Amino acid sequence: MEYVSPEGLRLDGRRPMEMRQIRAEIGAVSNADGSAVFEMGNTKVIAAVYGPREVQNRSQQINDQALVRCEYSMANFSTGDRMRKPKGDRRSTEISLVIRQTMEACILTHLMPRSQIDIFVQVLQADGGTRSACINAATLALADAGIPMRDIVTSCSAGFLNSTPLLDLNYVEDSAGGPDVTVGILTKLDKVTLLQMDSKLPMDIFENVMQLAIEGCKAIANYIREVMLENTKELEYRRGI
Amino acid sequence: MRELRDLQLPLNQTQKIRLRRALQQLQDLASKASSSASVTVADTIPVNHEDGVLKGHGTSELDGEVVATLCGVVERVNKLVYVRALRARYKPETGDIIVGRVTEVAQKRWRLEINFSQDAILMLSSMNLPDGIQRRRTAVDELNMRSIFEESDVICAEVRGFQHDGSLHLQARSQKYGKLERGQLLTVPPYLVKRRKQHFHHVEKFAVDLILGCNGFIWVGEHVEARDNMVEDQDNKSEQQNSKLNTRSLRLEEQESTYTPVETRQSICRIANAVRVLSSLGFSLNVEVIMGTVEQSISLNLDIHEMLGAEFCVQIAEREVERRSSLTKKRR
Amino acid sequence: MLQSKSFVRKTKQGKVIKVVREHYLRDDIYCGASICNVCDSSVARLSSSASKILIFDTNVVLNQIDLLENPAIDDVVVLSVVLEEVKNKNLSVYNRMRALCSNSLRKFFVFSNEHHKDTYVKAMVGESPNDRNDRETVESYVKSLGQPELLDLLVQPSSEDVAMEEVEDLRPSKKKIIYSEHKPMSEITLGLHRGIYHQGKLRINRYNPFEAYVGSESIGDEIIIYGRANMNRAFDGDIVAVELLPQDQWHEEKSLSIADDEDEEEEGVHLVPNSADDAPRNKISSSGSTGDPNPAPCRPSGRIVGIIKRNWNSYCGSLDPMPMPASSGGVAHALFVSKDRRIPKIRIQTRQLGNLLDKRIIVTVDSWDCLSRYPSGHYVRTIGEIGDRDTESEVVLIENSIDSRPFSVQVLACLPPLPWSLSTVDLENPNRKDLRHIRVFSVDPPGCKDIDDALHCTALPNGNFEVGVHIADVTNFVHPGTPLDDEASQRGTSVYLVERRIDMLPKPLTEDICSLRSDVERLAFSVIWEMTPEAEIISTRYTKSVIKSCAALSYVEAQARMDDSRLMDPLTTDLRNMNMLAKIMRLRRIERGALTLASAEVKFQIDTETHDPLDIGMYQIREANQMVEEFMLAANVSVAEKILKHFPQCSLLRRHPSPTKEMLEPLLRTAAAIGISLDVSSSKALADSLDRAVGDDPYFNKLIRILATRCMTQAVYFCSGDLSPPEFLHYGLASPLYTHFTSPIRRYADVIVHRLLAAALGISKLPPIFQDRPQLTSIADNLNYRHRNAQMASRASVELHTLIYFRKRPTDTEARIVKIRSNGFIVFVPKYGIEGPVYLTEKGEKGGDWYVDEVQQKVKKMDGSISYSILQTVRIHMEVVEPKPNRPKLQLTLI
Repeated sequence: MEYVSPEGLRLDGRRPMEMRQIRAEIGAVSNADGSAVFEMGNTKVIAAVYGPREVQNRSQQINDQALVRCEYSMANFSTGDRMRKPKGDRRSTEISLVIRQTMEACILTHLMPRSQIDIFVQVLQADGGTRSACINAATLALADAGIPMRDIVTSCSAGFLNSTPLLDLNYVEDSAGGPDVTVGILTKLDKVTLLQMDSKLPMDIFENVMQLAIEGCKAIANYIREVMLENTKELEYRRGI
Repeated sequence: MRELRDLQLPLNQTQKIRLRRALQQLQDLASKASSSASVTVADTIPVNHEDGVLKGHGTSELDGEVVATLCGVVERVNKLVYVRALRARYKPETGDIIVGRVTEVAQKRWRLEINFSQDAILMLSSMNLPDGIQRRRTAVDELNMRSIFEESDVICAEVRGFQHDGSLHLQARSQKYGKLERGQLLTVPPYLVKRRKQHFHHVEKFAVDLILGCNGFIWVGEHVEARDNMVEDQDNKSEQQNSKLNTRSLRLEEQESTYTPVETRQSICRIANAVRVLSSLGFSLNVEVIMGTVEQSISLNLDIHEMLGAEFCVQIAEREVERRSSLTKKRR
Repeated sequence: MLQSKSFVRKTKQGKVIKVVREHYLRDDIYCGASICNVCDSSVARLSSSASKILIFDTNVVLNQIDLLENPAIDDVVVLSVVLEEVKNKNLSVYNRMRALCSNSLRKFFVFSNEHHKDTYVKAMVGESPNDRNDRETVESYVKSLGQPELLDLLVQPSSEDVAMEEVEDLRPSKKKIIYSEHKPMSEITLGLHRGIYHQGKLRINRYNPFEAYVGSESIGDEIIIYGRANMNRAFDGDIVAVELLPQDQWHEEKSLSIADDEDEEEEGVHLVPNSADDAPRNKISSSGSTGDPNPAPCRPSGRIVGIIKRNWNSYCGSLDPMPMPASSGGVAHALFVSKDRRIPKIRIQTRQLGNLLDKRIIVTVDSWDCLSRYPSGHYVRTIGEIGDRDTESEVVLIENSIDSRPFSVQVLACLPPLPWSLSTVDLENPNRKDLRHIRVFSVDPPGCKDIDDALHCTALPNGNFEVGVHIADVTNFVHPGTPLDDEASQRGTSVYLVERRIDMLPKPLTEDICSLRSDVERLAFSVIWEMTPEAEIISTRYTKSVIKSCAALSYVEAQARMDDSRLMDPLTTDLRNMNMLAKIMRLRRIERGALTLASAEVKFQIDTETHDPLDIGMYQIREANQMVEEFMLAANVSVAEKILKHFPQCSLLRRHPSPTKEMLEPLLRTAAAIGISLDVSSSKALADSLDRAVGDDPYFNKLIRILATRCMTQAVYFCSGDLSPPEFLHYGLASPLYTHFTSPIRRYADVIVHRLLAAALGISKLPPIFQDRPQLTSIADNLNYRHRNAQMASRASVELHTLIYFRKRPTDTEARIVKIRSNGFIVFVPKYGIEGPVYLTEKGEKGGDWYVDEVQQKVKKMDGSISYSILQTVRIHMEVVEPKPNRPKLQLTLI
């Protein structure tokens, strides 16, 4: 299969280093403390944050920091074929864990002892890169909930097909079976908090691909920052003095 | 442009333009009025290190720079620099008047949900008994705790402070605090409620009590006379309470006696809807604005349910523009 | 700008899913023309002087790719939508197009119109993708040029509607049904019942994979199936249901089969076939001459309607050479070419194409859909590099399904304890005669370790001779029903390759316990005749015995003893007596009509260390060979008579059917061309006329005999109950009865005959298997199959070594023309026993200025200046060439 044409265009018309169109919106779930919708092309996820609040299960309470929980799910209508997506299958559990760990790394949990923060992310449309989209959405939702964070975490994926590093794989490219590197970084600190890869790559190529993914993360971070700032300003002027 | 949060209204084209213009005017007014800097997570806050800096809430230090950990507005008080978060849970301060809901009746205490990161605690001992007598709490009192507040009762109280173990304690040492009945509880983001001298409002015109809890819980209910006068007819009150304690069969009769007239109920709903409209527009809440909104709805001859419609929402936005611009003019 | 493509697709499971894809439209796609005033012309590929730009539509590319490759066509804009459609329709044209576009000398520019913001055409509701593409094609590019005045000049062809229809028709052909659907099993059963269909095993012609036969019992004749379409995805060995074609199509099908011949039909150099079965059966007149004097007899031909039982195996071969695909590590589709030409190419998917291209691999077949030309399969394992001697030897074994694994523990457990020696139990056995006092000796090829026959010859006081043939008593060690017996019956025969031997029985039995070596006491099964000096058999005795061979001679040694007149020792005398008797017997046999056939067997001298062939030459036949052969024949005939007398229903015999007239046809034609008349009415007549056919050079007679040999069929084993006595005839030996008795170590048939003989003598009971005739028949079939495979393997091994030999030694030698073709001839190289084509014209050109004279068997140049006739001696050059990487072959060229 030809994923990059000799003219340098990908199947959907992007060039190898281009990301899909991204769009973010804060506040979609009215009774959540914070919520956001994040879209990367046809991938669309919604995230809702509840908390910090009283720990529901007292035995899980941590005395010096907050308990972070995350639940990832896919809507039945998220893929081309409508089917029941069982909760708690291997894949969702894994992605839940990945998101939780990534977000935990940036939340200042010690400021909210004996409380609990719940992050719910649901994939509304899946077209590759759901993992990254979920992390980006969760970051926005947490910021919306006013939860103190060390830094903005953003995530982006990159792959390697037809001997070309490709940024932000869509579903078709993702299912080509080639390498798929998902990176999550703390943008200000410039630290990697998430790194996952399917398949294998030679070391030197891997570094190029990862660098590309990091560039993608930074671009997303700039966008997210803009969205958050605009949201903050709007809230403020609306409230008035 | 982003549409109104929490408010999915089917706006028509003119309404959309009007709303947009109103919001734009608000933005202009705000930027004229204040030069406060908004920040987002991980933004650097410019400070003059020579003056010495005290880092407050919502800030942290990274490579010698002060960095925000929240989205909000930077506030500077002398050396203190902090970020005032907008959308966040309630941050209690001693003396705040809050409205909460009982989640649990425990050993000598009630736990209340007050939109804080933990539940607040109201000790039996930090609460005036219904008979108003200051005395040691007996085991019998402890057993009768449920007759005072049950689970899911709505209560008004005052923040007493944080205990050494980090838990938040409340107190209700006045007759004005206590159980709230026959009304509606509304929840709004806490940043919309400003701390003021007066949080209890008696709207005499409608015979309605309005309590703006600092935690964003707002109570609209039928006016209770007893609350106003601390030195009320004690006998009458105690008799009433005693009879309630002793014979449950009297309840029905009591309910009849405390029957809320339909007009009052309508007023409660009208005020509650006014709060809803304002909060969904993200405007700060105080009794004048709320009552102004109510007045406007009456003057427009709107039904209560029409208050949540698109047209009224736009009108309120326009009204708010007028109000604020007149305020700024006055200030000049 | 973002456009969403949304379409509904049906999955393989039949689910309908909605696919939504993004489609980005860009503003940074340039039109490639340097005259353009909107685009960045620094990347322009089209020449600035170009007065016109060509834009093609899909049909032009598909049908006129050859024209496009002509350098005259230049300044071409290829729209990506056209490329995409070409790719879907014809991948090879697409690849050629891509090569053109990437060629820096040609000014071909690919314009990604689908992603250009101005040229993207949104699909209308209800519009088929093809219509949209047509609408899009030219218009879109002109739009992008940014010169709107050009758009007005665009003329829509009035015939567009017609063209559109044509295209519509083409579209479904992408998923053309190549083969007809197999009938459901119920219908087949019904059809078989009613006699509409005929069941049988499909056998594909080894030399022409487009021709196959189904032996049908219901018709009593073979049904011929021509062409892959009629074979309908059946494999060699499948049990199939055949429907007869109407009679008027019986012959026409043939010409069709040649037209169908899309695979590159190429004859390689190979060994001289030994019988008609080995030789390509396609007619010499395949050049399609209308004046074919002998129209092929109308045999029933049919087509396959269903497959009752698949015979899918793993097959050995290599991948069709192909360029590496663009995506490394991705899945590549490759075509696998089996070494066995009867097997069609097999489609496989692999991720390691680079590794497999130059390897011999094994592939199994998974399925064959009626929509795909080739079956699909998967890779099993790699054998080794192509051309490597060990690899190729293994391929030979696998190809002929020869089991070369070591014997299992269970089999080895059946062996007698080693070291074995004669026990008293054997001696005391009343059925076993002690013949140790007799002077027994063996004569075998040099270095022979599995000696299974020995002889003796004593002069009797009455002037007669007692002649004994002693055969290793294998059945004393191999008991019916044991794992050892099962294994031997499966293997059927030992296989002799050039550099190794694959035994039927484990080594201790083969080389020690059973081998009748000199000076050791061995058990034997003996046939002892009393013969007059005129070699008339007076009496025959059969007995189990104990012998002690006094000498294991080689043919050369035996011959030397006989020839050396000074030697007068008893052993030599015996040899001379035997030779005398053998000569008489041989003469008598020839009188009866036995054919003296010739074969061109070759012998290799193998380097002991590298195992590479050092020299090759024809196998020399001496008197001693003939002498031993004669007594073995006699023993076999005697045993055949004996067992048939006792077990007329269940004896295992060997027959050699008379060749049909059709089979002798090529021989007769050749003979006629050189002015010799051959009488083929009987074996006797043929033998006589072969004797008379003496030409002017010494090799001529042998050549004729070789040609005659390859007209014969192979001799086969059969169960006596299956045929009537007249059919038992062994044509070549002119013997009414024949069997195999003399080599039980290396042939399982002999083991069976031993058991039969022992039972006939009352020594042992007949094993129960002989009661079951179908089973015996199946054993006979298996033996024939194994025997044939063993022969094929030996031949393949010799061919392989011939190739290795000539790899380093390009040689000039003499050769004889044995077949005439329209563009060359087939020569036979006597020195090396090989045969191969010599082309007079370049490959691919049909005929050229040469024509064939059928009657005179000559190929002549049009102007008559040069002609080559059959059996003419020519000098040729032999060299190994590699036309494709890793596919070496021996090439013969005329000097």
